[in-house]
Parts: sequence; structure tokens; C-alpha cells
Amino acid sequence: MRSALFAFALALFVPCSHAQLVFAAASLKNALDDVAALSPAKPTISYGASSALARQIENGAPAQLFISADLDWMDYLEQRKLLRAGTRRWLLGNKLVLIAPAGSAVKVEIGPGFPLAKLLGDGRLATADPNSVPAGKYTRSALEKFGVWGSVAGRLAPTENVRAALLLVARGEAPLGTVYTTDAAVEPKVRIVAVFPDGSHPAIVYPAALTAAAPASGPAADFFAFLASPAARKVFGKYGFAPLH
Amino acid sequence: MFDTLTPAEIEALRLSLKVAAVSVLASLPLGFGLAWLLARFDFPGKALLDAFIHLPLVLPPVVIGYFLLVLFGRRGPIGAWLEHAFGLVFAFRWTGAALACALMGLPLMVRAIRQSLEAIDRRLESAAATLGAGRWAVLASITIPLSLPGILTGMLLSFARSLGEFGATITFVSNIPGETQTLPLAIYSFTQVPGGDAQAMRLCLLSVILSLAALVLSEVLVRRANRRIVGDAH
Amino acid sequence: MRIEIGLEKKLGAFTLKAAFSGEAAITALFGRSGCGKSSILNLVAGLLRPERGRIAIGDRVLFDSASGIDVPAEKRRIGYVFQDGLLLPHLSVRQNLLYGRFFTQPAERWADVGRIVALLDLAPLLERRPHRLSGGEKQRVAIGRALLASPRLLLMDEPLASLDASRRGEILFYIERLRDEVGVPILYVSHEIEEVVRLAGHLVLLSDGAVAASGPLHELMSRIELRHLIGRHEGGAVIEAKVLAQDLGNGLARLAFSGGELLVPDVDALIGETLRVRVRARDVSIALSEPRDVSLLNCFRCRIAEIGAEPGASVDVRLDIAGTPLLARITRHSAERLRLAPGKEVWAMVKAVSLDRHSVGYT
Repeated sequence: MRSALFAFALALFVPCSHAQLVFAAASLKNALDDVAALSPAKPTISYGASSALARQIENGAPAQLFISADLDWMDYLEQRKLLRAGTRRWLLGNKLVLIAPAGSAVKVEIGPGFPLAKLLGDGRLATADPNSVPAGKYTRSALEKFGVWGSVAGRLAPTENVRAALLLVARGEAPLGTVYTTDAAVEPKVRIVAVFPDGSHPAIVYPAALTAAAPASGPAADFFAFLASPAARKVFGKYGFAPLH
Repeated sequence: MFDTLTPAEIEALRLSLKVAAVSVLASLPLGFGLAWLLARFDFPGKALLDAFIHLPLVLPPVVIGYFLLVLFGRRGPIGAWLEHAFGLVFAFRWTGAALACALMGLPLMVRAIRQSLEAIDRRLESAAATLGAGRWAVLASITIPLSLPGILTGMLLSFARSLGEFGATITFVSNIPGETQTLPLAIYSFTQVPGGDAQAMRLCLLSVILSLAALVLSEVLVRRANRRIVGDAH
Repeated sequence: MRIEIGLEKKLGAFTLKAAFSGEAAITALFGRSGCGKSSILNLVAGLLRPERGRIAIGDRVLFDSASGIDVPAEKRRIGYVFQDGLLLPHLSVRQNLLYGRFFTQPAERWADVGRIVALLDLAPLLERRPHRLSGGEKQRVAIGRALLASPRLLLMDEPLASLDASRRGEILFYIERLRDEVGVPILYVSHEIEEVVRLAGHLVLLSDGAVAASGPLHELMSRIELRHLIGRHEGGAVIEAKVLAQDLGNGLARLAFSGGELLVPDVDALIGETLRVRVRARDVSIALSEPRDVSLLNCFRCRIAEIGAEPGASVDVRLDIAGTPLLARITRHSAERLRLAPGKEVWAMVKAVSLDRHSVGYT
């Protein structure tokens, strides 16, 4: 018994190999898990807000592949020379949608000055933090474009990441929310009310890159390549992600 | 770095203090009641109750936040009833942040108070009864004064925990400046923005100062309370 | 005021089944440690509930299992002086003293603060905190506190047990004062016969959770068959005597009782005062004829009333000095040699020196 305990304790000190630690934006969860299941390399994937993940990489997190939900955070890491040069490319696209709880009957067309504040009533608009999380930033751009940002800026429920905003709407705590179409697809308790037109916000692009810590060839690079394969694209497409080149 | 605080920072500070204070004061009767129950009685399910009270200590704060959302959100069974019966709303309000803090701090409060209750010589309460004191009089004139050090310690621990509460709060009531953006949430927000490091650091320093002040104050108060009970010159 | 008590309760290893009643100023409950004395006090005070029984103080019934009466402890108006005082540590002496008074209805407050404080000499202690009091001071405060709640009955649980010898005398004095000057009946628990003899008018002897005997002190003290409960070493008759004269030159006092006169050394009492003198059986010798040229000062002509029957080297003899009983403990061998038998006229001798300060009590 004692030797088993000793072996266990020793094992805790053996350095884990982070050969395949992937950091990915929260909104990729369902799709990327399925892709990983198909790939020969079995990576460990950590999901979170792109802002949080980028910060972690900046502070030394041993991720080898980073898939961000917007360009800003990828730029952020590139400026700090934390990416492996030449590996960055656009991976996927997405759409921003306005959602409501599944049982809600609300109807609206998104256009200049659309009555968002009125539709909220005394509730709040659930959205990822507009200051830092990509989904929130896209939301702000879009609402500013349509001139309604001022009327709802004080009526937000800013969440830690886009999936948390999805949760608030799914539970009915927020009458409306903004998430990616891919998020709405996996949550049966919400329905899409309207889609934000592509031009109303910077293109929603998921860039991906190997980090400076990753070797040029190896399991991480292999997985990265697999993400562009037809099998992977089929899975992404099933979830609603648009493939990009 | 040491300029005066911006309005947003003052807002976060004010909110943190308000939320922490309200959470401690509001949870004190429940905390004392639970501690008293656990210290004085044996009943079936006592171990289960004890374990339940300690859950916020061992579960991830996000889980607690999720449970709060499910139960106390406007659509939650308890939240809906509270809004209907008393007009009390927790969702997206500072009251929700206070509720999250109260729940996270409760196990610390109950432990501290229970310990001090168990240390009281029960015969003193019997003596008081023979002198004519009824149950409530004994509670007010003997039990509470003699357990005061534990009560103060419990309050302080809960207060300090509240000042640092993040996971349950952001999950339950999100990060609304001026309403639910307490100091920890504000610090987190700054760290998520490129170039927000300096501000984050300022607020961290502020948090440390606040916590130290609370600690020192509690030491002073507890020592004074002990002196009152046991007597000086020891 | 008459106290009527009947209690039955299972206490761990044995069952307590006690019943007694009395009307004296102090009723003493005496018995070995563990016989249930303190439990009786807790039951009377309402801190424990009997399984069956009846407790009545004067005309007030506090507990009656037959009719379902059970007055809660805080309403019984029974003061309790605990063995270790149990003063409230977070309050000053003054606050402790007034604690019970606060809960007493003004109409029921017979205890006068000034008088009780003076009675127990508490004035210099008022602003102190309990942890700064000596053992004796704590007990005095405890007594004062119980009295100031204006109780109808005062319970005292071995109040002298945690004090050292010198302090005991001091507190005993205060309790005697209390008995004589304040009108509250007292139920006093002790396992020291000396205290009981000095204080009690009525004695209840307990043994293994049951009342072995209950009655006036003098009577029980002179019954041979109860000696084993009282203690072989310390038992003996109690004589009430009045001080006739004080021989200050020799330090002797002459006390008169129904059977004659007692000479007792170092008695601090005035002429006319009544005292209780416990004559230990082991200090009484028997002679067939009047002793001459001996150092003994106290010799009495008396009649043998009863000779004890227990086996062993010693035997108890109850003597009757014109109505006053006296117990003597002598060897069986001597009793046979002198051919002692009930009815025989003999002489009883008591050494004056054996009547020390532990034997004399002031009423």
C-alpha cells in the first residue's frame, strides 16, 4: 500500500508533456471536440474567452496551438512575438446573431435604429464583455453601426465569455442576447431572432497559429494541419462555421 | 500609478464594500442560527447538514454561481417567489452579488461561531436560568456576549472572502459596472484588456490594503472582546 | 415554609428515588459522593426533569407528574449557589449581583440590595471582575447573587467544597448569618458532617439514590443504626446548650443543657447564646462508677438506652442523660467486660479538649 502511494506521489512530479495543449475560443467547444475525436492526434483542448487565453499565453501558458475568436487577440500575441512566424492563417468564419429564450415570441428586423432597448423591457442584453471578449466587441461594433449602442450600453449583462451569455438567455434570465450562430445551434433552449448582417461588424474570423513554444513539426503541427482537412471542414460546417482560406 | 482613483475605480471600491458589508450582516442571523444548531443539538441528518454548509468551500465557485442562477434567478423557483412576495430581485443586481458573497462566506462564518459556542460553559446558562432568565434572555445576555470573539472572527472571515469573491458573482450576476462589478471583477476586466495592467495593479493594491485593514480591525476587536470575557492581565 | 419533595429519575447507573419534607430554616442533604445529592438540587431547580414526582415549596407546586405541572426553571424563583460559584465572567461583581434582580418582578423583590451587600461584606468587591476574586470572595458573591433574585428557596451545592480550610470557616459564618437574619429556607447539600451539624435543623440522609432517614438533626445524629451513613469517624450526638458563664482566665465556657453542664474550651460566644455541640462518639468513655482524680472535666451520670449490634471490634452505645441522648463508641471487649446492658446506670465522660472548634456551631 505504501509503495503504491509513493509511486502515486512520484507520478505527480513527473512533468506532463504538453505536446498537444490547444487553447481555443469558447464558442468552438462543441465543434472542435468532435474534430479532435476524429483526428489521429488526440490533443488536450482548453476553452475560454480569447482575451483570457491570450493573456495566459502571454504569461507563459504552455499552449502550442491558439485558435482565437477575433483578430485583435491574435495580433496582440504576434506583436509580442509569441507566435511561430509564418504559421498564422484564417481558419473559420462565423455569424453574430440576436437570440431569445426558446419560448419567447419576440420578432424584430435588425436595421438602423431598431427598437432593441424597447424589446429589452426591464431586462438586460446578455453579451460577452464588450471591452475584451471578441463576441462582445463584434456586438458593440454592430450596435454602434445601427445607432442603438447608446440606448443599451447601460442595459447590458456582460459575461465572462460567449457561452455564459448563451446560458443567461437559455435560462430565461435575459430576454435577449448576442452570441455566434454556432452557439445558438447547440443550445435548444434559445432561438435565433435575427442575424447581424456581415457588414455591420468587422469580419468574424477565427485565426489560428502555432505558438512560439511549439516545434515546427510535431503533434501540434499535425493537428493544426488536420483542422484544414475535408473531414474536419465537414464537422465545422455541420455546426455552422464557415470555412475560410 | 498612485494618482487618485478614477470614478470607475471608486465605484468598484464602493460597491465591493457595500456588497461585502451587506452580505455579512444579512447572513449573520442564519450563520449564528446554523452554528447554534450544530453546536447544541444532535439530530438525524446533522452530519449531512454540516457537509452541505461546507459545500461552498469545496465546490468551484462557478458551480455555486450556476446553482444561484438556477434557484435565485428571476425564473428560478426561489427567485421568482421572492420577487413576487417581497419585490426582492437578485438577478443582475448588487443584491445578487451580495447573495453570492454571503453563500461563499457562510461556511467560514458558521465554523468560527460554532467553535466559540462550543467553548461556552453550559452551566453558566443553567445558572442564568435559575436567576430567572428565560431562553432569549440567556441568549442575549450570556450566549452572545461569551461567543462574541467567534462571531467577530466569523464576520471578518466572511467579509474578507466577500472582498475576494469572483467566480460565483460573475456567473450569477455578470460584470455590470456600478451594479455588480466589485473589485475582483474590475481587476479581472482590466487584465483582459491590453494595456490595462497598470490599472489592474492599482486595484490589486487597493484590495490588499482593504483586506489588511479588515484583518487588523478584527484582531483589535477580538482581543477586546476576549478581554471582556476572560479578564485582562493574563 | 414547608418543603415537600418526592422525586424519581434514572441517573446513569442507578435510579434516584427520594422523598422527604421539612420545615426547618436549613434542610441538609447528606451522603457520600455520587449518591445523588446534587441531582436532587438540579431536579428541584428545574434544570433536570424527574420521571415522576412532586415538588412543592410552601403552597406553590412547582412540579407534579400526576397533574402535569412543570414550572420552567426560570419561573421557579429558586436560587442556586453552585459548588464553583459559576459567576458570569463577562460581568462585574455588581452586574452579577443584580442579574437575577433584573428578572424579578418589582412586587416580588423582597431582597434589599444594601442589606445583602452588607450581610456578605461585598462592598469592596463591587467593581471587580470575577476572575480577580479569591475562592471565598467568589462564593460570597454567588450567595449574594442568588439572594438578590429574591428566591423563595435557596439551594446550596457543597458551597464550601472548593475552598481551603481557612476560607471554609469564613463562609460558614456567612451562611449561619444568612440562616439567622434572612428568612429564606435553604436546602443544603454536603458530604462534610461538620457543616451539616453547624447549619442544619433538618437532616436527610441519602444512600445510593434513596432516602435512608429524614428528621430533626439531633434525633438522627443520636440513632445508632444511622452511624454508618454519617461516618464512623465523625458521628456523634448533637447537644444544644446555652452559655452560662465564661471563665476567661482558663479559656473555658460553661454551657447548660437538659442533662447538666458542659465545659468547652475556646468558645467565642456571649452569655445567653445557644450553641450546638457535637460530641463525637469516639471521644466518649464509659465508667461504672463516678470518676475521681481524673483530668476529665465533663462527667455525666446516665442510663444505657441501646447498644449497637453490628459485628466488629467496636460497638456503639446510646446513652440517655436525663433526656439528652449521647453516643459512645467503645470496644466490644470493654462492653462485655463491664457487662453493659440497656437500662444500666453508668457514667459518661467527655474530654473537654475533644470539643474543639470543629464541634461547636453557633445558632
